[in-house]
Amino acid sequence: MVSSSVSNKRYTYIHESESNSTREAIDIHHVIINGGRATGYARRRGIGFFLVLLASSIYFFLGKENPVRTLSWGCLLSGFLVMLQSRKFVNKEYVIIMPTFGIQLETQYLSGKTVSRFIPVGKILKPVLVECVTPITCYWSLSLFLRGEEQLTLVFKELRPPLKMLVPIWKALCAAIGTDHQSETIAEEEHDVSS
Amino acid sequence: MAEPPKLRVLMVSDFFFPNFGGVENHIYYLSQCLLKLGHKVVVMTHAYGNRSGVRYMTGGLKVYYVPWRPFVMQTTFPTVYGTLPIVRTILRREKITVVHGHQAFSTLCHEALMHARTMGYKVVFTDHSLYGFADVGSIHMNKVLQFSLADIDQAICVSHTSKENTVLRSGLSPAKVFMIPNAVDTAMFKPASVRPSTDIITIVVISRLVYRKGADLLVEVIPEVCRLYPNVRFVVGGDGPKHVRLEEMREKHSLQDRVEMLGAVPHSRVRSVLVTGHIFLNSSLTEAFCIAILEAASCGLLTVSTRVGGVPEAFFFHGLQVLPDDMVVLAEPDPNDMVRAIEKAISILPSINPEDMHNRMKKLYSWQDVAKRTEIVYDRALKCSNRSLLERLSRFLSCGAWAGKLFCMVMILDYLLWRLLQLLQPDEDIEEAPDIRLCDQRDVEVSEGLKEEDKVRNG
Repeated sequence: MVSSSVSNKRYTYIHESESNSTREAIDIHHVIINGGRATGYARRRGIGFFLVLLASSIYFFLGKENPVRTLSWGCLLSGFLVMLQSRKFVNKEYVIIMPTFGIQLETQYLSGKTVSRFIPVGKILKPVLVECVTPITCYWSLSLFLRGEEQLTLVFKELRPPLKMLVPIWKALCAAIGTDHQSETIAEEEHDVSS
Repeated sequence: MAEPPKLRVLMVSDFFFPNFGGVENHIYYLSQCLLKLGHKVVVMTHAYGNRSGVRYMTGGLKVYYVPWRPFVMQTTFPTVYGTLPIVRTILRREKITVVHGHQAFSTLCHEALMHARTMGYKVVFTDHSLYGFADVGSIHMNKVLQFSLADIDQAICVSHTSKENTVLRSGLSPAKVFMIPNAVDTAMFKPASVRPSTDIITIVVISRLVYRKGADLLVEVIPEVCRLYPNVRFVVGGDGPKHVRLEEMREKHSLQDRVEMLGAVPHSRVRSVLVTGHIFLNSSLTEAFCIAILEAASCGLLTVSTRVGGVPEAFFFHGLQVLPDDMVVLAEPDPNDMVRAIEKAISILPSINPEDMHNRMKKLYSWQDVAKRTEIVYDRALKCSNRSLLERLSRFLSCGAWAGKLFCMVMILDYLLWRLLQLLQPDEDIEEAPDIRLCDQRDVEVSEGLKEEDKVRNG
């Protein structure tokens, strides 16, 4: 198994593939959140909830008779909320490319749950790198044009890896579905300016 | 291998395509010519309906349609600090060196200039319109302008009248204000190959039908001219609130066969409408610089216009008269004077040579020239020294007793918010966007530029 990896402060990208034949092999591209960050989120969120409930408990303490019970309920509630939130914390996402067959997109959460989606190769029209603009920021994302679907499908739903990690995955996807990415650098469409 | 761009300019305005108008045109043409000169230009504007995100236009012009909602007259809702994160992200990822804001009425422009100054970038501002001093709206607008321009590096105005107006409104030093007139795309605006017959004289009006463009004057002038000259017809292009008044005028005087209302005319069709006419009528009540009359003159039409604002300057270039008195007729913004001017125009019409007019315009007005002059302004701005926060705050204090202190508070808070953002998301974390160059380098003339929008699949 050939493996290459790129990492930055936030993410680590690992690419695994068979060493001999290039086109027929299964390719796996992992993007992992760097360890400290995921647990850091959880820690901060937990502390946040605890503080909020501590503050409200102190308020009740001043007014109500049974502060201990309030505090214990408060801690239970905050712990419960933190656990709920942690189900959303992503550990890693990966793309498994099976040439001529399809691709599998998987998201693995901190809680151990994995959500996966398989897309047959015939359904993929084109993988594209898009710049997404929100009211606050702008970032790159890798998306797929799928047959019969109006919306683009994101390859990485939760994570936002940088461009240097997305480019090799994009090239691998293009190779897998048989698109020659060298000649596909520009596609022109004419649009009505008055629209 | 292409050389790295010399300057990296961010044009910011609420007004850009697909909205159509003078400012939008100016930004587009200037950007295209700067791209040809080897600079990198990025445009930032708000989203128009579904048009949101990054788009690439002709020549590799990158446009960010930021999804902030417009609220009044296509301007973004002013949140003062709301745009700081996205402006910072765009400035970092595109490695911008100069920020160029357009139009005093654009809230996005003012906010972006403020944030750019806080972050230490050089800023240039272009004012495209004339504003009053007396009404409540103008007073507030002028205060905002005073704040925005207190700290600017250089400013550009489109006419001497506009420069006087801007300097008076904002208290800016005249030495910092450059005058660069607008230009016209003479490759697109050419006279008709066969001049229309002068048996029936056609007078063309193309403007937004709003108060400040003199639509009310048209309502008075058109019936009078039609009464005096049975062989004159009018073609009115454009739309707006005063459209109803013009329709009423047509009905009242039974001029349906002599006054043709075209409705809104897309810019790509303006030339085809202009070449059907002999005379171009502009009845604006206020105008910083009128590109419409340059476009009409470039198409070989005799121009009749109101003598307001920067209009007389449009026919002078470096003190020399571009078009002599017998090619343009000016009148006061009064119906009787305008009718008299149209009478004079009709009498001198046989002596007009459209090709001659076009050639004179072509020699003196070009966007390439505007771009070169703007480049000089950018270079001057880059040479301005970097000022510390305290020096900048002292400039704001001179804006007024209360206003000065308020402006200082606003800037201090902006500075603190910027530092907080740097803590939460350090500068190194903002990824730089690659410079995407179109691989087949078509040498697209500016005249074709308006029609195509290229969507680039990048890699």
